[in-house]
Amino acid sequence: MKRVVLIAGLLVLMVAGLAQAKTTVEFWHAMSGSRLKVLEKIVSDFNAAHPDVEVRAVFTGTYEETLTRFIAGYRTGTAPHLVQVYEVGTQTMIDSGAIIPVYQIPGMLGETWDWAQYVRPIVLYYSVDGDLWPYPFSSSTFMLYYNKDHFRQAGLDPNKPPTTWDEIEEYGEKLIQAGVVSSVLSFGWPDCIFEQELALHNYLYADNENGRADLSTKVTWPDAFSVKLFETWTRLSQKGIFLYGGPEYDANAAFTAGKISMLLQSTSSLDGILKTAQGKFEVGTSFLPRFADEPSGNSVIGGSSLWVRKGQSEAELRAVWEFLKYLSQTDVAIYWHKGTGYFPTTNAALKELMDSGWFVESPNHLTAFLQILSGRQDTAAALGARLGPFPEIRDYIRTAIEKACAGTLSPEAALAEAAAKANRALQEYRSLIK
Amino acid sequence: MEARFPGYRLLPYILILPSIAVIIVFLVVPFAMAVQQSFYRTSPFGTTTLFVGFDNYSQLFSAPEYVQSLLTTLVFAALVIGGGLALSLAIAILVTRKIRGVGFYQVAFIWTYALSPAVAGIIWALLFDPSVGLGTYLIQQLTGYRINMRVSGTPALLIAAAAAVWNMLGYNICFYIAGLQNVPKEFEEAARVDGASPWRTFWRITFPMLSPTTAFLLFTNTIYAFFQVFGLIDILTQGGPGGATEILVYKLYRDGFIRLRVNYAAAQSVLLFLMVAAMALFQLRVTTRRAEYSR
Amino acid sequence: MSKKTLYKIGVHGTLILILAAVAFPLYFTFVMGTLNHQEAYAFPPKLIPGNQLFANVAEAWQRVNLGRLMVNSAVVALAVTVGKIILSILAAFAFTHFHFRGRILLFPLCMVTQMLPLPVRIIPAYSLMASFGWLNTYYALIIPYLASTTGLLLFRQFFLTVPDELPDAARVDGAGPLRYLWHVLIPLSRTNIAALFVIEFVYMWNEYLWPLIVTTDPKMRVAQIGLKMLITTERTTAEWNIIMAGTLVIMLPPLVILILLRRQFAQGIAMQSTK
Repeated sequence: MKRVVLIAGLLVLMVAGLAQAKTTVEFWHAMSGSRLKVLEKIVSDFNAAHPDVEVRAVFTGTYEETLTRFIAGYRTGTAPHLVQVYEVGTQTMIDSGAIIPVYQIPGMLGETWDWAQYVRPIVLYYSVDGDLWPYPFSSSTFMLYYNKDHFRQAGLDPNKPPTTWDEIEEYGEKLIQAGVVSSVLSFGWPDCIFEQELALHNYLYADNENGRADLSTKVTWPDAFSVKLFETWTRLSQKGIFLYGGPEYDANAAFTAGKISMLLQSTSSLDGILKTAQGKFEVGTSFLPRFADEPSGNSVIGGSSLWVRKGQSEAELRAVWEFLKYLSQTDVAIYWHKGTGYFPTTNAALKELMDSGWFVESPNHLTAFLQILSGRQDTAAALGARLGPFPEIRDYIRTAIEKACAGTLSPEAALAEAAAKANRALQEYRSLIK
Repeated sequence: MEARFPGYRLLPYILILPSIAVIIVFLVVPFAMAVQQSFYRTSPFGTTTLFVGFDNYSQLFSAPEYVQSLLTTLVFAALVIGGGLALSLAIAILVTRKIRGVGFYQVAFIWTYALSPAVAGIIWALLFDPSVGLGTYLIQQLTGYRINMRVSGTPALLIAAAAAVWNMLGYNICFYIAGLQNVPKEFEEAARVDGASPWRTFWRITFPMLSPTTAFLLFTNTIYAFFQVFGLIDILTQGGPGGATEILVYKLYRDGFIRLRVNYAAAQSVLLFLMVAAMALFQLRVTTRRAEYSR
Repeated sequence: MSKKTLYKIGVHGTLILILAAVAFPLYFTFVMGTLNHQEAYAFPPKLIPGNQLFANVAEAWQRVNLGRLMVNSAVVALAVTVGKIILSILAAFAFTHFHFRGRILLFPLCMVTQMLPLPVRIIPAYSLMASFGWLNTYYALIIPYLASTTGLLLFRQFFLTVPDELPDAARVDGAGPLRYLWHVLIPLSRTNIAALFVIEFVYMWNEYLWPLIVTTDPKMRVAQIGLKMLITTERTTAEWNIIMAGTLVIMLPPLVILILLRRQFAQGIAMQSTK
């Protein structure tokens, strides 16, 4: 009897051992809503095609929560193999000492890899000295969404969206006079729109080449341009044209409900907005508004990217790498783009989308591409900032926008207040990293 | 007091062991760690740790937004406690008049106690939604002014305070009803026979007799307005607009968990502790003094 | 009509007016939960219920996996409530029926719970959960809550009022302290247990900040966080009719328990307020 138990026990151990032979990759991400379903499909397809690997995708809350949890996990040895971090966490991750830069991975596994296959602006955003650190996956930028039906009702040409802030003001006055809406424009992620506008006109956000040459010591605002920008927003707000809509995706509701006519928002909202507006009104998209008399830069890549944790076994690293490579297979990248509105990350996927006529079928998916590919890519200002305490600084900028629009502080004073806090944060960060 | 079961040496320790263990592991130790962390500064991933002395504290007091947050909290707490206690005492007095249906009214008012701050937050977010809220509509009809709590700070703070008062009404009314029923009627009647006005009777007799209830409610409502209200703020305003509703606990959460300034947040924790301790001692003094009287 | 009747009508009238004002937000919540999309966006808002309640509840239910959230909340609230009742009875029994060294020190230690609300220790407490590997588990949601000042005070005060004859009689009968606790004291404490049950269940069901930070996996979220998820998922439209339908469901369990046990709750309150 004892022997039977012993043998049974050994068998159990062996089966468990076999199951263990399957390499598990834990992947923490922040994709909720309709994006979650798209991601889950990709992961289960990957697992089906790779019987020796099991990717466990775990939704760990918002981007902020995911980063906080990753840090806590890393400090206590429970961090996942792969984590999705939003663009503002980039510098923190680079300085963390907790990750393997992806450009080193093929070499570690005895492979070579062509890094030129990824869409250039995305590579530039996430590179340090020309080498890619996180793996590009969920990249987006911002653009203008507008309600074509509202334009028609106000006697405006629905195919001529405003391109400058002056035109925004002019169109806004017409839309209000025509009684179509009582407020015209709102922003998603107001803090990001501020970054976008600076880069769009080739202005730096912080010193040391936007933190790309060395850790920044201070922000460059308030300067003439940022004050002008704030003054414009405040004026639009006082005229009732600009309606401050709260952080992140709060403003989408007003747009899809037809309460406002224009929205500056992330491209990753595209599919959500198109679906909600379907049958209610026609959605148009265009480039972010500019100032006609200012220099040109580019819109900034936002969204998030995937980071590989340090300290994995070779088998685990190999499995992670397989998964990453799978994500940029043309069909997978296209599926991801069509389901979410995020950029396809490889040139091959982009070409395939063009050849198959997707952009003709859905021109709104092309807008952000044209915007980013038509801008300049050769200056740090146009690439956007990379700062250690960026999540914190964004918070300060958002508060400044709220205060300026509510008239609590003058545009310049609001910016100066935020700058003082931002500079303190940058100094503190430097003192810890240097 | 005599031991009712003399001779058991080990048993009492075993009985209190679970409570003590929980308190030490999950309350005392983390608090001690917070005190320690407040003297350091750590990089987000914990790779570098610097001893900075009182730097986190001096930064707090020199930061206008912390002072602002402290003021916001005090104003908010004053509105919630002052408004809430006055209103619920008034209602409790009406309910305990010698009328029928005391039981009915008690149940009819108690239910807000069962709603969480987050539920109260969501209900008032709906009421004052800038585009579809009923409160927004009524105020526009009455005053012609269209309030938007996403943009204007003062309305946002007032709406949050109103939601909090509403949320605590059931709890406060319950305690005041219980307190009023404990006030011996003879005193009030004696005062009335002496010809004192009801107003005078209330302030000279009833209100002082209620002081232990009031002290207790002051403490619990302070705890509510300082801490429990987190869910309400998180759902209703996220501390905005422009930091107008960023009360201390919300700032602490944002600094510690969003802005990743762990040590700075730890220093805020320690300051919060000092405030709570002061409140608790105050409450203890009022209630023990009262207990001595009644002996 | 006599002056007295007029006075009574006045009091009732005032009370009913106040009651209507206090109940109104809840009524509006209910109405919103019954409307369809068009009706929900009407301005001025509608005040007459529609017929979409069940459709809206079903939508909210599947949108944030409300079933799972409600189960989590129920498990956590019941476990904490029962755990707190047991732990505080044991501790109160020790403090009132025995003499032991360190009593003078240990009792105040039990009272510090009141002085150490979550925010004053939240950062290290979170790291502690991470190092125990407790993030996204029931452990993190239950165990740190088990100590209760309210419970200890409530039972201690009640046990002190129990006449000495009862334990003496038990001793004479040869019953040990635990037998006495189980067969005499606990049955006598029924009202207190019920009162504490309501207080702690409502408290725990409504906890927000701690569950917000120690859980991130949707399977481990609790109902209160469901409110936040309802407001922010999909994020493309604030569909108030669906959000409010979900809110109605989430607020129901503590409401039902409070109404069912309102007498015991009121007695518990009376005891707390006279301590």
